Amino acid sequence: WDAPRERWAQCGMQRGHLSEGTALGPDCPPGPGPDLVLLTERGRDATLFKISDQKPLGCWSVKHGQILTCPVVCNFETHEYIAVHDDKVLRIWKNEDINLDKAFKATLSADVYRIHSLPQGGPVVLFRGGGVRTLDVLLEAPQQEIENVISGEVIRWSGAFMEGQQPVLIFTTEKDEDFFVYVQKPKLSSLHKYKLEQQESAKPVCFTAHITNQTVTLLCLYSNDSVYQVLIPLQQDTEEEEEEEEILSKSLLLNFSASETVLKGTSLVALDKDHVAVLGSLTAPRKERRECLTIWNTKFHTLQTSKELPLGTSGQLWCYEEKFFLIHGKVLTVIMYKCETSSLAAAVGKLKCSQTPDVSSFVNWNTLEDEELEVSFQSQESVALQAESRMNLRSRRSTVTEQQPETLSIGQLLLNLKDASNYVLETKLRKLMAKAPTPDLQATIGCVVTALTDRCKRNPKYYPQLFLQEIVETRNLSYSLCPDLMAVALDKKDMHLLQICLERFPDIPEEITYACLKAFLGMSESHLQNIDVNLDSVICYIDVEFDNKEVKTEIAENGFGAAMDQDMCGTKIPKQSQPWSDDDSCPVGPQKAALLNAVLHSAYTETFLLPHLKNLPAGQAILFLRYLYYLYVKCSEKVNTTLPGIRSPTINQIMDWMCLLLDAQFTVMVMLPEAKELLSNLHKFVRAQVRFYSELNKIEGSLRELQRLNHLRESHTYSIEVLEII
Amino acid sequence: MGCEPTGSHTELPSPGRVLCLSWHPSGTHIVAGSIDFFRVIDVASGQTVQRIMVNHHVEKAKRECVVWAIALLSSGTVVSADSFGRVQFWDWELGTLAESHTVSTSAALSLAVSEKEDSIIVGTSTGATYQLQLLPVNLGGQEKRWVRTKPFQFHSHDVRAVAHSPTALISGGLDAQLVIRPLMEKMQKKGYDAVLRKFTFPHRRLVSCARKARLLLFQFSQYLELWRLGSTEETGKDGEVLSLCRMPEHLVQLKSKGPEHIYCSCVSPCGTWIGYSTASRFHLYRVRCDGDGVSLRKVPKVPKLLPPAYQLQFSANSDSLFVASARGSVHVFQLLEPGGCKHLHTLQPPSGCSEAVYLLAPSADGHWLAAVSGDWAIHIYNLKCFKHHCMVPAYNCAVSALAIHPSTNNLVIAYSDQQLLEFSIPEKQYTSWSRAVQSRGLHRAWLERDSPITHITFNPKNPAHILLHDTYLLCVLDKSLPLPDDSTLLMNQSTLKQLPETARKRQLHAFKICKKFQPLLFMDLLDENCLVVVERPIMDFKTQLPLPVQQKKFGT
Repeated sequence: WDAPRERWAQCGMQRGHLSEGTALGPDCPPGPGPDLVLLTERGRDATLFKISDQKPLGCWSVKHGQILTCPVVCNFETHEYIAVHDDKVLRIWKNEDINLDKAFKATLSADVYRIHSLPQGGPVVLFRGGGVRTLDVLLEAPQQEIENVISGEVIRWSGAFMEGQQPVLIFTTEKDEDFFVYVQKPKLSSLHKYKLEQQESAKPVCFTAHITNQTVTLLCLYSNDSVYQVLIPLQQDTEEEEEEEEILSKSLLLNFSASETVLKGTSLVALDKDHVAVLGSLTAPRKERRECLTIWNTKFHTLQTSKELPLGTSGQLWCYEEKFFLIHGKVLTVIMYKCETSSLAAAVGKLKCSQTPDVSSFVNWNTLEDEELEVSFQSQESVALQAESRMNLRSRRSTVTEQQPETLSIGQLLLNLKDASNYVLETKLRKLMAKAPTPDLQATIGCVVTALTDRCKRNPKYYPQLFLQEIVETRNLSYSLCPDLMAVALDKKDMHLLQICLERFPDIPEEITYACLKAFLGMSESHLQNIDVNLDSVICYIDVEFDNKEVKTEIAENGFGAAMDQDMCGTKIPKQSQPWSDDDSCPVGPQKAALLNAVLHSAYTETFLLPHLKNLPAGQAILFLRYLYYLYVKCSEKVNTTLPGIRSPTINQIMDWMCLLLDAQFTVMVMLPEAKELLSNLHKFVRAQVRFYSELNKIEGSLRELQRLNHLRESHTYSIEVLEII
Repeated sequence: MGCEPTGSHTELPSPGRVLCLSWHPSGTHIVAGSIDFFRVIDVASGQTVQRIMVNHHVEKAKRECVVWAIALLSSGTVVSADSFGRVQFWDWELGTLAESHTVSTSAALSLAVSEKEDSIIVGTSTGATYQLQLLPVNLGGQEKRWVRTKPFQFHSHDVRAVAHSPTALISGGLDAQLVIRPLMEKMQKKGYDAVLRKFTFPHRRLVSCARKARLLLFQFSQYLELWRLGSTEETGKDGEVLSLCRMPEHLVQLKSKGPEHIYCSCVSPCGTWIGYSTASRFHLYRVRCDGDGVSLRKVPKVPKLLPPAYQLQFSANSDSLFVASARGSVHVFQLLEPGGCKHLHTLQPPSGCSEAVYLLAPSADGHWLAAVSGDWAIHIYNLKCFKHHCMVPAYNCAVSALAIHPSTNNLVIAYSDQQLLEFSIPEKQYTSWSRAVQSRGLHRAWLERDSPITHITFNPKNPAHILLHDTYLLCVLDKSLPLPDDSTLLMNQSTLKQLPETARKRQLHAFKICKKFQPLLFMDLLDENCLVVVERPIMDFKTQLPLPVQQKKFGT
């Protein structure tokens, strides 16, 4: 039984860069369940597997002497299987059919390269000569003549997509070092041929493509360890122009050689518009080659994650429905993945301040590794089933049944609880989370939160505020794990939860950060006073309204106050127009200040935040700027320019936000009269500080002496004082 | 300064006052410095075997040259520091000068040699100290020579004493400062030991308080002062200064006779007994306050103590006096009315001890006494039967203060590394609170302080409170509150005061620290809501210092 596999492996090697074509083709599910896969082996067999059970459901073989020449596909509309053997013979059968010999047979006039089955579009047959027919058209007259579109070229890769109601077939060909791309719409019988821009000393190894907005994005993995992107517009076929072949220019998307480590890619799959998976081997000097599967973020050019495959692979990688299929060692390995919405903060962006507790990273491999299933090649069909392998299969099956209640429970439980009462839901979810930490605990909690937020969205009266707070506070969640949570909290005006999320989530999109800022600034102080928020970041520096001003003397350590006053006196600003500037009290209440501090603390990227900040209403922008100004003054009062307290904003954060806000709201600030004074004060303050520090430098020596003499201050020889120790 | 022969078999035949001396490490010879010369004396015979004139090489030496400090190295080299600011190296057997370094234009006053004899620290009268190191002339060569390497200026006045530890240079000056300067090349890592330390006040109690009588006894070098505290009838808010209805009263000044400094002193809790000890004698006085008049009467026939007391402590009910003495012993005296004293017992650790006791703590119920000796062992004695009760588990650090809780009889111990331990005397083990503190660890800011706790007292009305102080802060340690972790603010009192009452609760932690009074010499609790604090402004005694030798002042 090992023989076919070996043959297969040889096959794969001989075929070199041919990717998902002929050797093996897992295909999309024909039946009811989503986790079915149809495997075609180079040879005579096609097997239908249920992935979660790791067991075959059915197997079909062609007669001895015949050979399957392209992957078996399933027609989604009719639930029939379509196979081609000996290049020209088409077979169509149903699930119930056992014997392929008795199945429908049609002999075609040309060699088939591949059949692509599209949901809603029906199967499309691509011939070696480049001709394309839908199956319907082909079956009307199987012997019809198929035109030769290509001459002397060999098809290297093909892919099919739906564009609107139209199936689109794309294939690449090679001839004498030149590569061509063909885009065909069989229903409109339109054909476009392009030539790929040549790359010196490198040629394409693997292709993958996806369609977005009328544009085909073709990704090509080149032998120089780079991925290039080629954009092909899907033209509206209004007029038939026979022009000379267009040359497609390509742009570099990724390069896998970092310093001395090089990823030699063999296979490439596009996962979504921002992610690609590359299977290849990692070569570094003085190190062994290691084969690994990597996921790259093309937007930020970062390696999202990687997984080593120590047993070696065939170099081929397929991907359907968020599952990778690859040959790892001698078995077909299925790996599930999930691509999170990417934000730069998560990729490289500004990390949280070190004060916040370490946030555990959410690498999907950890959570999904347990779900990695191995589908063995053994199928029931095999006549010469060896006892050994049978035992193997059985033992594997038994472990699966043991694990099943564990792994299935989360999804099922959440499904079951969909209609349960609120109380039952919360108690069940608590129980679920209370289980001992398993590797996929994070994912589970993410599901739990999603379940809760879904319910909140369905039922506007339902909002488990404390429960959500508890989850966010005690679990290391991230925004990506529960993307709806903050939106729901914003909707419900749950300021405390938003504060916690801002403080804890490492990957909040700038849009949400802005929404929080706007919500915080828009809240009325009287409303906020009744809300419980964590004031830790504020209490150490904010002036709670206090009768005696003595508290303040303690913090005027560097004595710039005098210099400031003088500066202020020189300018004649009418007093009544600046009701706040003469008393430098905080322009917002402690609750609002704490919430704003949470925003100051969150990670962001200026480029992405700036467009949102431009939308901030003028009044709120000025209030925010006043608060930032207040913080800045407070910071400057301290010799070390740091505010005391836990999670209080740093001077850098304050300055960054101030600059950002001024950038975003520049025109507003220039226009508004009340902003004018704020800005001029700000300007004066900064100027005064610059001057003050330069003066300080000059009199450094004298100051040292003064500090020494400071001890001469009047000393009461005897006094009775009141000392309060709290 | 001075050094007098203490009557051994080594008689000094010739005139010439000995100003300094040093033993050969093997104990065979003594070198003694005088004015213009030094002598080497053979210990076995008592004979002067060499006499070397130190100003021999100075032409027209008009002034006399005082040898202020001297050291005899194991190689036989004599190192002398003299009033000409020179450090000289002599081969005493040949009587020749090997090397001479003029380190200062003013006198070199003190000298210390490292244990390896490869480094010397010299203190001068300008307040500067210099390090000399024995270094090879050529890299990797055999021939070595003394080189003056590092000058330091940490003092404003005479550096009268220096010491050389393996990792630091220690100097003490007339400016009342003790400076520890770590040798950075000997430091493995940054840390507590790698920082320059300056100490102005001795780490021992100089003030004692008669709680019941509301008296304070201040110990000065040559005299004692007894004061009655003033009082007020007002109350007020935090920070207010209240007007006095009775002024503090200086009751008596007690001058010690002779040149000896007072080593320790104590006033009894009832305020009627005062005891003090000098290097050689112990004195006990009876104080009587009759209306405005104060009478002081010396207690006659005080038992003779040899050697003298290192620490004095009256019992809580003022009927006995504990005297810390040499070799780990504590003498218990019974105080007799109207003014007498008798030796009752001498407590000694069962295993013996070579070091003197330097700290004492009696329990309020008169049952227990804790004594700390120089080997850092804490022995606890049962005073009812005068028996050794137990020993606190050894901890490799000096004890800086200790006290016994009045209601629980828990012994609270502060170590010089800022650790705080609580040991239950009845149960002979650390309390669970103490274990919790140890397992959790104290706040980093607490551990990084460089001034040790010098006094511990308790609040009788709130058993959970422990009051501690060092030179820069006083702290009410509330055992009922959670310990702060490193992320919270340790000194949070000013923060708390700005918060409304309701918001304070979340921020409270066990260490309630007040830094208002600095430098803090003494703190004690008189009653439930009355705390006495003694500050000693540094300027008070800086202004009393004589002018420094050199006054180079630029600008101002």
